[in-house]
Amino acid sequence: MSVFMDLNLSYTNDKSRMQSLIETAAHLGYSTVAINYTYELTIKKSKVPVPTPIKDLMEKLPIVQGRCRPIRVLNRLTVVMSEQCHFKKTGREFSAYDLLAVQPATEKLFHVACFTLDVDIICISVTEKRPFIIKRSPVNGAVERGIMFEVSYSAAIRDSTMRRYTIANAVSLVETCKGKNLILSSAAEKPLELRGPYDISNLGLLFGLSDGDAKEAVSSACRSVVLHGETRKTAGGIVHTMKCCSETPDQQEAPPADCEAPAAKRAKQLTE
Amino acid sequence: MRAELDQTPRSLLVSERSSFRDQKTRIRAQVEQLHFNYKVSVLLPECCSAPPHLDSIFNTFNSFYLIRNLPVYELLDKNFLETAVYQGSVYGVSYRTRIDEDNCVALTPKGHLTLSLDKDSFEILGVEGKPSRFNHRTKCRFVVSVDLTDSSMAPGGRGYQRLLTGLRSRLQLKTDFLLSHYPGGGASLQALLSRYDWSEHRPQISRHTLTDLSCPALLTSDLQSCDPHSFMEWVGAVDANVSCENSSSSFLSSLVCPEPRTTVSRALSVSVCGLLLPHDVHRLIQEIRCYLEQPHLESWVCLTVHGYADSPVSWGDNEHSVLKGGENFYSLLMFQDDTYHLHLATGAHDTCPP
Repeated sequence: MSVFMDLNLSYTNDKSRMQSLIETAAHLGYSTVAINYTYELTIKKSKVPVPTPIKDLMEKLPIVQGRCRPIRVLNRLTVVMSEQCHFKKTGREFSAYDLLAVQPATEKLFHVACFTLDVDIICISVTEKRPFIIKRSPVNGAVERGIMFEVSYSAAIRDSTMRRYTIANAVSLVETCKGKNLILSSAAEKPLELRGPYDISNLGLLFGLSDGDAKEAVSSACRSVVLHGETRKTAGGIVHTMKCCSETPDQQEAPPADCEAPAAKRAKQLTE
Repeated sequence: MRAELDQTPRSLLVSERSSFRDQKTRIRAQVEQLHFNYKVSVLLPECCSAPPHLDSIFNTFNSFYLIRNLPVYELLDKNFLETAVYQGSVYGVSYRTRIDEDNCVALTPKGHLTLSLDKDSFEILGVEGKPSRFNHRTKCRFVVSVDLTDSSMAPGGRGYQRLLTGLRSRLQLKTDFLLSHYPGGGASLQALLSRYDWSEHRPQISRHTLTDLSCPALLTSDLQSCDPHSFMEWVGAVDANVSCENSSSSFLSSLVCPEPRTTVSRALSVSVCGLLLPHDVHRLIQEIRCYLEQPHLESWVCLTVHGYADSPVSWGDNEHSVLKGGENFYSLLMFQDDTYHLHLATGAHDTCPP
């Protein structure tokens, strides 16, 4: 098992609310969180939001309860796709984010996202009745590429109708993907909408996951997503480039010796 | 919804009945094998204050040391091995590390060093180890188990050098560490302690007097009064101060005392918390036996010992982990005639207790 992560904390402009969100997450035992910026692809003139640096958000990150380390905060972008639009795969705006997610609204877009798009997470809508049937073939294609599916639970806390939709959509997804490649996250806007990692792993049981799968959905699967996001910035997952401060042009270097994991772009190895 | 929703994660309960006078009794071995004890609680019925002999045992539990940010390679230091580990009486476990999230370390008195590492740390360390028995789909946890008293791990040997280099230069693992040894065991920890930020701690003792406690009618050990599961639930409820009334107006707890039941006008519950040694638990058991030899209103005493939930090993050197809960504990119900009921319980990710 790896550390517990919550990869979806909704971003708001209210700095004090973001700080209390991060503090609550650390208190509940999450070692890594990701602040989620949402971007609607339909509004053509809207620009991709620029993520606030973590240092500006919180000067000193709180220590995770029961451990000695401070919480780790990542930046994530969710692109809401509701019509066939050009999704720039290598847009410079996207490189500022550690994680890239996409929320398809139609079956065609879901198919495109599973097979071609270079993303880390595919979000399953929980706020409306199942918009399309999730078929096994695109799901298997996404699993092959190392993409995870995400179900968020805070809508279920806010409203009883959303609770029905969340459970129904999650159950149908779990039946199709057989409990693999699934992460559970909060999409919390307020600190009160966050729940502890063991509680969420129990919620996974309601969605049809087994004990082990439910715990993995909050820990190891999230770790795979974060590694997948890191390798998106590399060439084949082996070489990454860093801009030097000196006048010499960009130099290619092997990853530093204290690299966290021997990351590889091949999907099957990523999920280990 | 699936039918599996009404199933709780697996738990194991081993029950045994025997007598202290029986030559084949294994109670000593069973107590010794649970190396890292976190809490000992004793329930004395019809008693409002602990008798002085019992009190003195509680007060003379060994103190333990907390070392902050200890680099783990120090446990391989030649001086520490000679003065402490080879003497065979040192217990150490990492503190504030979660077994299912972090890297955990345990040192048993037999000289076994167990490192429970996540995948990244294990690959960086580069020492032989096995995948954890409790890995699910992917191998994300590995266990490195080393016998420091073995000839292959003698200082200067290849195995020793490889592990030392790994911990010193490649992985650089540092944790807060709880360390203890029983006096008279010949171990000396001063050399190690003097190099780091350490503090000595006494086990915390707390006492509660309970009035009008309903308890199962445990007359003698021969009578089959109640089944082990309901008895363990009741012992846990009393220890956690949860009401067993099951009144219609309260929704907090629906736990009940198993039938047949009696009411005891008063009872004393004493708990001791800290890094407690099996040696002290054994002294406590002997003292409770002496206490029971004198005539009392109720002829039984219940002793419960909890192991650390985040320890890499539970009984013996068996691997331990946490799925939903990391319980590993035993409950000893002692009677006046030197007989006892022993219940050993573990959670889902654990091996069968001895």
